[in-house]
Amino acid sequence: MDQLLQHALNATILGGTYALLGIGLTMIFGIMKIVNFTHGELYTFGAYMMFFFVMVLGTNFFLGLVMAIALGLLLGALIELALLRPLRDADIDTTMLVMIGAWIALQNTQQFTWTGIAKSINTPFPLDPLVIGSVSVSWSRVFVFVVAIMMIIGTHMLIHHTRLGKAMRATFQDRDTAALMGVKINRIYTATFALGSGLAAAAGALLAPIFVVYPTMGDAVAAKSFAIVILGGLGNFWGAAIGGFILAFAEEFGAGYISSGYRDAMGFILIILILIFRPTGLFAQRERIG
Amino acid sequence: MLELKDIECRYGKISAVRGLSLEVKEGEFVTLIGANGAGKTTTLKCISGLLPAAKGTITFQGKDISNAPAADILAMGIGHCPEGRRVFPYMSVEENLEMGCYLRKDKDAIHEDMEQLFDRFPVLKERRKQAAGTLSGGEQQMLAISRALMSRPKLVLFDEPSLGLAPNLVDRMFQIVRDIRDQGVTVLMVEQNAYAALELCDHAYVLESGEVTLKGTGSELLENPNVREAYLGT
Repeated sequence: MDQLLQHALNATILGGTYALLGIGLTMIFGIMKIVNFTHGELYTFGAYMMFFFVMVLGTNFFLGLVMAIALGLLLGALIELALLRPLRDADIDTTMLVMIGAWIALQNTQQFTWTGIAKSINTPFPLDPLVIGSVSVSWSRVFVFVVAIMMIIGTHMLIHHTRLGKAMRATFQDRDTAALMGVKINRIYTATFALGSGLAAAAGALLAPIFVVYPTMGDAVAAKSFAIVILGGLGNFWGAAIGGFILAFAEEFGAGYISSGYRDAMGFILIILILIFRPTGLFAQRERIG
Repeated sequence: MLELKDIECRYGKISAVRGLSLEVKEGEFVTLIGANGAGKTTTLKCISGLLPAAKGTITFQGKDISNAPAADILAMGIGHCPEGRRVFPYMSVEENLEMGCYLRKDKDAIHEDMEQLFDRFPVLKERRKQAAGTLSGGEQQMLAISRALMSRPKLVLFDEPSLGLAPNLVDRMFQIVRDIRDQGVTVLMVEQNAYAALELCDHAYVLESGEVTLKGTGSELLENPNVREAYLGT
């Protein structure tokens, strides 16, 4: 029983960051219809920026986190402006190839800059874990979870209750008509891609102090993000959030009770099963953002 | 108020509109009639900046707006109610109306305008929180018209407001467009329902294969034997 509770707690905490990754990608892949292979690289980028600010420059941990996320947004905006804007009406294959190129380029740039040696980041949190009854969790994981949940809620508010969010939804529901309403379509594309990328960078920056940082850390994350988005239904905000938690539970319990060697496989086995029975994902498109 | 001079519009290498000139005076109700593919929708898209004009000039209130961005054209006072309603299906009725006044900042006046539209179309008020995609065709058309009015346009472009509606609603839509004009908004309407359009309008242009082949007042064109044969079936 204690073990079960401990696994559930670990899964919940991991699920928060998976949800961030999923929401970020569902905005880009589900709504903008861009098969975004750079999502994992933005995650890696966020992690390295956290390392850069906290360990290299000696910036305050929390300020470093904010800076890492801000730079993730900026890198996302740059990718959109430089690579995607010229391909706005190109077919999906062209965009996909360009994004695969961007993925390779970004990963190698990171390897070149930081070498292949894994890095770790110190946290300001106490080393003694938080003990609740029979389970325990480190304070740094509690922090990751709280920030992830706040960002999920913040993103939801942005999409549903701000002028920018409305313009985003309108643009991806009907681009021409949104333009007729006075929406500057190009800006919305850049903003949406930047926001999705920023969420991936945030997940990387949050998890970096818990795990270690290395150049190919984004590969498995990218695959998992796609899995989460497909699981939740393309373009479905809460679907991506819930999908993130489902994947985390599948991994945690699979690793705990079946075999830890198959940890990363659990999620994909689950997705194969879900897609056999519900090919459109777990959730209908009713809650779609765009 | 609005003047198109020698406009040419292309989709790739195919020109959908060539050498088109027309004029809409302030307070007028002007219609463009013509068969499918005559270039009516293309003309409207070109005016509101969705399609570039390959040649020619468009002036609105004395200013050259050819190839200006859509947002600027809207800000100058041209609203566009697009063909096929094109409401944002997953957004609520209220959010659709809010998109209509996306560029406006005057919150109080926006609220007033919305209440006025709700008085005019009580069904939209009833369904204000409902996703626009779940409305009936007639309701969606009312929403699309209301959305176009939310920008407080001086000129509204209507693209086939009667398309796909039940016959009793068709008359209602034309009446609504007429009311809008009576309130002092200039109207340029594209219609396939030539008879209704000609009866309502002040001036009309007949478009064939991207060119203006006839123009005149509504009643002149209603009398014209060619128009009667080609568009009115008599």
